[in-house]
Amino acid sequence: MTFTISPPPHVKSRESVKSVMWGTVAALIPVSLAAIYLFGLPALMVILASVIAAVVTEVIIYWAASQPITAGDGNAVLIGLLLALILPPDIPIWIPIAGSVFAIAVAKYIFGGTGTLIFHPALIGFAFLLAAWPTLLSTASTPHLGSFSDLFLETGAGRLIEVSPALVLLGGAFVLYKRYVDRRVAISATILLIPSMLILGMGWQLPYILTGGFFLGLIFLAADPVTSPVTKRGRLVYGIVLVVLILIQLHFNAYFTGLCFAILLMNAFGPFIDKNTVPTPIGGR
Amino acid sequence: MKIATIKTPDQVIIPLQQHAGAVCNSLVSVGDIVSAGQLIGDGESRIHSSVSGEVTAVSELPHPTGKNVPSVVINIHEGAEKEIEPEELSTGKLRHIIREAGIIEPNGLSTLRTKAEIDTIIINGTNTDDLSSNAALMLDYPAEIVYSLKALMELVGAKKAFIVIELNSEALQVMRTETIPDRNIKVIATPMYYPPGTEDVLVKNVAKKKVPRGSTPEDRGVLVSSIAAMKAIYDAVHGIPMIKKVITVAGAVGSPRNVLVDIGTPIGHVIEECGGCNGTPAKIIVNGAISGTAQYTDQVPVIKTTTGILVQTEKDVNREPPAPCINCAWCVDACPIGLMPHLLYGYADSAEFDRCADLYIDDCIECGLCAYICPSKLPIVQMIRYGKHGIAEAEMEDLS
Repeated sequence: MTFTISPPPHVKSRESVKSVMWGTVAALIPVSLAAIYLFGLPALMVILASVIAAVVTEVIIYWAASQPITAGDGNAVLIGLLLALILPPDIPIWIPIAGSVFAIAVAKYIFGGTGTLIFHPALIGFAFLLAAWPTLLSTASTPHLGSFSDLFLETGAGRLIEVSPALVLLGGAFVLYKRYVDRRVAISATILLIPSMLILGMGWQLPYILTGGFFLGLIFLAADPVTSPVTKRGRLVYGIVLVVLILIQLHFNAYFTGLCFAILLMNAFGPFIDKNTVPTPIGGR
Repeated sequence: MKIATIKTPDQVIIPLQQHAGAVCNSLVSVGDIVSAGQLIGDGESRIHSSVSGEVTAVSELPHPTGKNVPSVVINIHEGAEKEIEPEELSTGKLRHIIREAGIIEPNGLSTLRTKAEIDTIIINGTNTDDLSSNAALMLDYPAEIVYSLKALMELVGAKKAFIVIELNSEALQVMRTETIPDRNIKVIATPMYYPPGTEDVLVKNVAKKKVPRGSTPEDRGVLVSSIAAMKAIYDAVHGIPMIKKVITVAGAVGSPRNVLVDIGTPIGHVIEECGGCNGTPAKIIVNGAISGTAQYTDQVPVIKTTTGILVQTEKDVNREPPAPCINCAWCVDACPIGLMPHLLYGYADSAEFDRCADLYIDDCIECGLCAYICPSKLPIVQMIRYGKHGIAEAEMEDLS
């Protein structure tokens, strides 16, 4: 009789990279549907164009580089979907395509693929579009929390993600519960942001913060496992410094774009924070 | 829960190394007739025959650790049944008895390692993943365990003792009732977590003392022992050396249960006695699913450090190829020691052993939690072992 031998452990948890990526995608489906409901066909076109462009780019690049094609793990779909959600719906269809191609080709592939990349690809794609075609990306309106119903369906939404803060929070609760995004970053940043705004006399800006875009940024983008630090202390530091950067951006009335650049800037500090917060093992001096 | 007994096999294989240390010298040779409880190996530890019969071979045979170890093979004689002589052991002091009876903790060390001053004893009664032999022992022999604990406390002069048991264990109430008369023995309920048996973590959580790197709990006046050792001490005081072990048989077997097994019984025989395998066995693991060792043959014997046998069929065996690390930090959160397993994996993978050393790779206890939780299915434990090996090799080179 032959038996398999292998190093321990001999059981493994059910979670895999696939389940993490596809689970995060699933968490964003409700808000995507709400966006299609509110904006109609243009929103669907933006989402489809962005996701398909991301997957096709990934397949072509990995095929051309003779590397195993990993598009099935859902990472490219997630990047495409996140990028589509932070764009306004009334844009030419080549805009999300250009953004996705840039996100996958430059921010993901050139930086070494899933796991080794430094900057969040969806945010890099967004920053690239914003730098290249700023006029095309201007939103029709800036959402703010006027009435209670805005939490569920924000009719003043300028971007796909802003249609429903409640649905983003619902998806966010799911990924936080499943630990698909980092709890320490998301929770420390969210909890710290509101009191510090009140203390600094920025309370009048709160309605602009309680929007889908900010919840997406703090939960899905800032706490993204790949780009946030790994040490326990480091993740708290990351969340706290991120809040400081967001507050500076808010001072200049930069809302969603300000948040995106705050997260990108923090991405750059991630490895630095990790290096300086290496934990002392139990029994260490 | 009742501990079952099984039929004695026709042949037992008793390795001369059942502890962490050098192989014992064989005191018998082929053709000798031995009786149960007779001393057959001596050296750093002591090894006794678990059955009565004839020695048919003394040679290198497979051992649960994966290597071949000199072992004594004994064929059981029906007629050669001879009782153990209790007087031989029960004379003398307890410290002497523990050594003479060859009592070994599940981690391979002797119960009393130093003569350092001890003020606290911690008995680890938690179960490791799917193994419930500790709970079974406490349910069946609560008085014996407390008896040994009290004797041990008296011997080392400990003022207090803790028995650590999981919150949901049936044994909790039994041990609480059993220890009511003793004010200085406390039963502590811990939530379910793995690995509960890590000495340093236990000492930190229960005795509130930190064990610095390079020293042992004994240096801080804490002795960590096990339920299995308590039962063995009770037996030893009553004249029976460590020749039997309660182990858990789990997984794809006919009737998973806790059984009392003679040391040296091949695990294939134990599995047969527990109802055999459901389907074709694909993997046989000794000592638990998360940190145990997969066996290449079912002819390895049960030894003193064995706590359980797990049988897996093909559908339980994980063959998913590893994906790249995604920095999710689950391993960092899971590590009971506070290491950075994903970095150790990466540095060991690229043979940067000095960086592994900077990140305290030697502190790793190889509990396997990081590799269990890893969504990328990375063989982190294997890579950490490679890293430790690389460091050891580099040190050897420096010396020569």
